[in-house]
Amino acid sequence: MVTAVSDDMFTDEVLNDPYAYYGQLREEDPVHWNDLYQLWVVTRHDDLVWLTRHNELFSSAVFKNDPRPPYPTIYDSDLGLYEFVREYQARQFIQHDRPVHLDMRKVVHGYFTPRSMEEWRPMVKDVIKDLLDEAEERGSMDVMRDFATPLPLLIIAEMMGVPRQDRPYIREVAEKLLYVGRGEPWRMQNFSEGIREMIEYVTPLVEKRIVEPEDDFISVLAQGEREGVFSRDQVISNSSLLLLAGHETTINLLCNGILSFIRNPDQYELLRSDIEGMHVKANEECLRHDSSVKSITRIASEDVELRDKVIKKEDRIRWFISSANRDPRKFENPDQFDITRWPNPHVAFGAGIHHCLGATLVRVEGQEAFRAFAERFESLHLDTTEDQLEYQPSITFRSLKSLPITWN
Amino acid sequence: MAQERKLKITVDHDVCVGNAMCETFATNTFALNEERQSEAVNPQGDPLAQVLEAADNCPVSAITVEDAETGEKLFP
Ligand code: HEM
Ligand code: HEM
Ligand code: SF4
Repeated sequence: MVTAVSDDMFTDEVLNDPYAYYGQLREEDPVHWNDLYQLWVVTRHDDLVWLTRHNELFSSAVFKNDPRPPYPTIYDSDLGLYEFVREYQARQFIQHDRPVHLDMRKVVHGYFTPRSMEEWRPMVKDVIKDLLDEAEERGSMDVMRDFATPLPLLIIAEMMGVPRQDRPYIREVAEKLLYVGRGEPWRMQNFSEGIREMIEYVTPLVEKRIVEPEDDFISVLAQGEREGVFSRDQVISNSSLLLLAGHETTINLLCNGILSFIRNPDQYELLRSDIEGMHVKANEECLRHDSSVKSITRIASEDVELRDKVIKKEDRIRWFISSANRDPRKFENPDQFDITRWPNPHVAFGAGIHHCLGATLVRVEGQEAFRAFAERFESLHLDTTEDQLEYQPSITFRSLKSLPITWN
Repeated sequence: MAQERKLKITVDHDVCVGNAMCETFATNTFALNEERQSEAVNPQGDPLAQVLEAADNCPVSAITVEDAETGEKLFP
């Protein structure tokens, strides 16, 4: 069926409320050819699950194999920088297919088991406590700037084995890397500068860990080099993986989650009435209801039939988590923020062989963050008006620009 | 080497995301089905240590392992 929906996915309307736009596509044309961006837009829950689990049909090596220019467009003068960024990005294992992907993922996977992430819980709690103490002293907080941005960064710095005195510097570099999910035409300048600085920073750390392994994440990668799975360049690229993959995404979970609680005070009350019983479910509902990652790209490895469409070999496909997680075929009252929802089979972390490596870590962070808010603050309020809330111009990430709040 | 002890292995299909880590760590024990979810196709297929490593590496804790005869819980 042909739908009347416009193909411009970057209008303010779509950025502010992706649920209406992708929801309409999901109902009217679930496998939609977007002519403007030359890609397939896939929006139903069962199609996403099927697609992500059939990695042999849909390649993740997008940067390596997709010759098409970046979108939204960047300055022509930055195309050289884009090539640099793309080459760097292509080394990350998220951008590899089997068999190489499996070899690479095996090296790091063991670091992220649910059990080993439990060991970080006390540390996560401490960091959250410090950040909220500071905010309380000040009497106000931009959740984005004062809580959601520093929290994952401090945890990641600890995991990477970054010395304490280097944290302000890492924070500066991380700010530049956050441009990854944005649409500004100059974003490649900030982003590539961030990558360069990151490489310069981690190279000596890596060299040290190759000789003297410790129990941090860089040492795990260094072990991969000793086993011949990673080249030195790949160890360096993947060292920043935690920062790149785990920063923006976690920020969004925390901000979007707090915003959902502000808009649904009854749910906040419910969480507060039984924090121990509800914090895990609440975190899953935050992951589902206003998902951090909106969409991910693949390239078809062969001609594939999906519903009544034929996706041709080499075609680009974008699968929309934000609409799959609101699919009424899978979730009752999908637009409702309901922290009692259980089980909650959302696809916020994707599925199949590329299922989010950091999911186990994020679950600990999100659970403890929402718990800490509920324990401390009786009620939460916006310190701005609804119409002042703005989102980054990205179709990859659901990122607020800021979230000022007050509390009682 | 096959597993001597009789194991009862279950995979919770409500949560399995089909990332195939179990199959990677215990190749003979687990296999993905048509839906790309894991099944314990041969509970005696690998040494116990390997089965437990597979269960531990499941990112969504979908796997439970017990002794089929005594009912002793081996994982989690
Ligand atoms: C709320 C937070 C997060 C969300 C919603 C999220 C979401 C996702 C999604 C949807 C994918 C699938 C990508 C694909 O199929 O191509 C993914 C993969 C990945 N994520 Fe996350 N992520 C989050 C946090 C993190 C963190 C904290 C880390 C840090 C360790 C991380 C590391 C990764 C990596 C390395 C992959 C690639 C896995 C692979 O290709 O095998 N993520 N994530
Ligand atoms: C691990 C380190 C990562 C690096 C170095 C990286 C780097 C990049 C870069 C440079 C871009 C291009 C940005 C632009 O065109 O403006 C990009 C786009 C993207 N990234 Fe990542 N990224 C990483 C991890 C992740 C993760 C974990 C996810 C999923 C949660 C993800 C999802 C995406 C998506 C969907 C795009 C858009 C691709 C497209 O436009 O076709 N990335 N990334
Ligand atoms: S490791 Fe867990 S999620 Fe992955 S396929 Fe096996 S049972 Fe399923």
